[in-house]
Amino acid sequence: MSETMTVSTQKGTSPRRRWTLDAIYCNLSYLTMVLPGAIWLFIFAYLPMPGIILAFKNYRLQRPPEDFWTQNKFIYSLIKSEWVGWDNFKYLILPVNLNNTLEFVRNTLLYNLLFMVAGLVCAIALAVIIYELTNRFWAKLYHSIFFLPFFISWVVVAYVVYALANQSGIINTALASLNMPMLEIYKAKILWPFIFLIANIWKYTGNGSILYLAIITGIDRQLYEAAAIDGASKWQQFFNITLPQLVPTIVLLQILAVGRIFVSDFDMFYTLPANSAFIREVTTTIDVYVFNMLRSTSPLGYPAAVALVQSVIGFVLILVANYIVRKVRPDLALF
Amino acid sequence: MRTAKPKIARDMLSISPSTNVALNVLMVICAILTLAPFYVIIIASVTNEKTLIADGYRLWPKEFSLAAYSYLFREGSIIITAYKNTIISTVAGTILSVILVMLYAYPLSRNNFRFSTFFTFFAFFTMLFGGGLVSYYMVMRQILQIQNTIWALFLPSAFSPFWVFVLRTYIKTNVPDELIEAARIDGASEWTTLLRVVLPLSVPGLATVALFSAIGIWNNFFNALLLIDNVELYNLQYTIYSTLNNIRFLLENADKMQGLVSLADLPSQTFRMAMAVVTVGPIILAYPFFQRYFVRGLTIGAIKG
Repeated sequence: MSETMTVSTQKGTSPRRRWTLDAIYCNLSYLTMVLPGAIWLFIFAYLPMPGIILAFKNYRLQRPPEDFWTQNKFIYSLIKSEWVGWDNFKYLILPVNLNNTLEFVRNTLLYNLLFMVAGLVCAIALAVIIYELTNRFWAKLYHSIFFLPFFISWVVVAYVVYALANQSGIINTALASLNMPMLEIYKAKILWPFIFLIANIWKYTGNGSILYLAIITGIDRQLYEAAAIDGASKWQQFFNITLPQLVPTIVLLQILAVGRIFVSDFDMFYTLPANSAFIREVTTTIDVYVFNMLRSTSPLGYPAAVALVQSVIGFVLILVANYIVRKVRPDLALF
Repeated sequence: MRTAKPKIARDMLSISPSTNVALNVLMVICAILTLAPFYVIIIASVTNEKTLIADGYRLWPKEFSLAAYSYLFREGSIIITAYKNTIISTVAGTILSVILVMLYAYPLSRNNFRFSTFFTFFAFFTMLFGGGLVSYYMVMRQILQIQNTIWALFLPSAFSPFWVFVLRTYIKTNVPDELIEAARIDGASEWTTLLRVVLPLSVPGLATVALFSAIGIWNNFFNALLLIDNVELYNLQYTIYSTLNNIRFLLENADKMQGLVSLADLPSQTFRMAMAVVTVGPIILAYPFFQRYFVRGLTIGAIKG
């Protein structure tokens, strides 16, 4: 999948790439084609970028005077609000807030690491098993089934969690018939890492295995035949033939995942716990925190500061990740 | 998979029959576990409400009832409105994204487009860096002011740099340069070439873009959460989310609010599960027909030219 994102700069195709009238005229039809997309990108991706200065401001909503060049309250307030330097960032590490800050950073990092490892193992195991099964019809059917959850929204998954585990849910009905105490999942912190892990594996394993399956299918059968003739077992074949072929892709995908380690799956972390206050400690990630702050009455600068740190660290991590890929496998580098 | 090999010497390389059986058993168990959640909500939705409250959720209900569904599709129900909003935004968003992505990808796939480096970077940079949620929220609400309009449900998801690069690769590998040059020599303009030559050959790639985009908008919950406050404009995902959330909150605080709310007034359990079922229904029904396009979409890059 990541190979598709490879952005090759086409060097040498055009000696001058300056925006001269001549060049624009020659490429006019191409330019009109990219224009709608470029406008979308400008509005939805570039327009919010200058807004990162919110992190350094004490944002106050003000009404612009009649003669100001724009009558938009947000733009005016953004410009006129006072600069407060690093105050918004300092707020997050005040002794009162430090614990909270460390919690949501920890949650984001640990959950992402957990999902990376579990996702990798499950996806490769599934790909290998699907490939080895002798009946192709069943193999395809299994794979179709495992791929299905990828298309189900997290909100529906939240319903499933609720149906399974509410007071009259299946789990508690079963526990009650065994005379066991009731499980209140919206109050039990210890359960949530498992719930997230299971939900994550359920949703993404089928999808994650597709790329590995495509690579395994492409491996030359003669390698396996030679190994089999030499008496290599299936496990030996896996570790000495299949795995080495998968390694470049594994490395690439994991490095990219590290690049996104500060970004959490907002929909999952926000919908599954259904805002229960008892488990906030283990379910709040950076994105959820930013959203909650944004919706609260606290100054906009605080969530903006968190979002800025997240954006910048994410950006740096992707650059570093790409640099490493470039050293190891230049053909797989993103840019 | 597209690179299916002839089955030479499959016998020698095949796993032993006993391993095969063991793996099949494992796969069947996993498949059942994967499908179990769907089963749970479907069964709960067709259980008689009183049975559900008295006995709790069961694997096989004592009494079936379709009351929840008939209630759901009664006139004026919130689900009908939500369905309407979801369908409108999915159709509009999918059409828009196919057009935008195709128009952006085609010039980038051509070597003679002089600004291709610039526009590649223009799109790619947005995948690396963003303004963050806070400023996005403020720009959407204060500058664009698309909150509480139907546009908010699909415009923010109507374009994707990722699919631009997928489609660009697809065009490069599947539409021969000679064909485009031949069209040019015959006097076709860039637009004619795109519509008459490139477009027909890119249909499988575009189908993938369309399907992923449709699923993305159908399942989109974040846009509505962020930008919609008006019940009339809730989409399906947000409707069922707010229902679940309200109920869980009320149940949790029922002891504190004695007398203020009675549990009997809440939407019934079966009703809620029926809501979840009608939300995923179209996806599950369409899935068998479109599954190969989804798989292709994810392996499309493996054939980089």
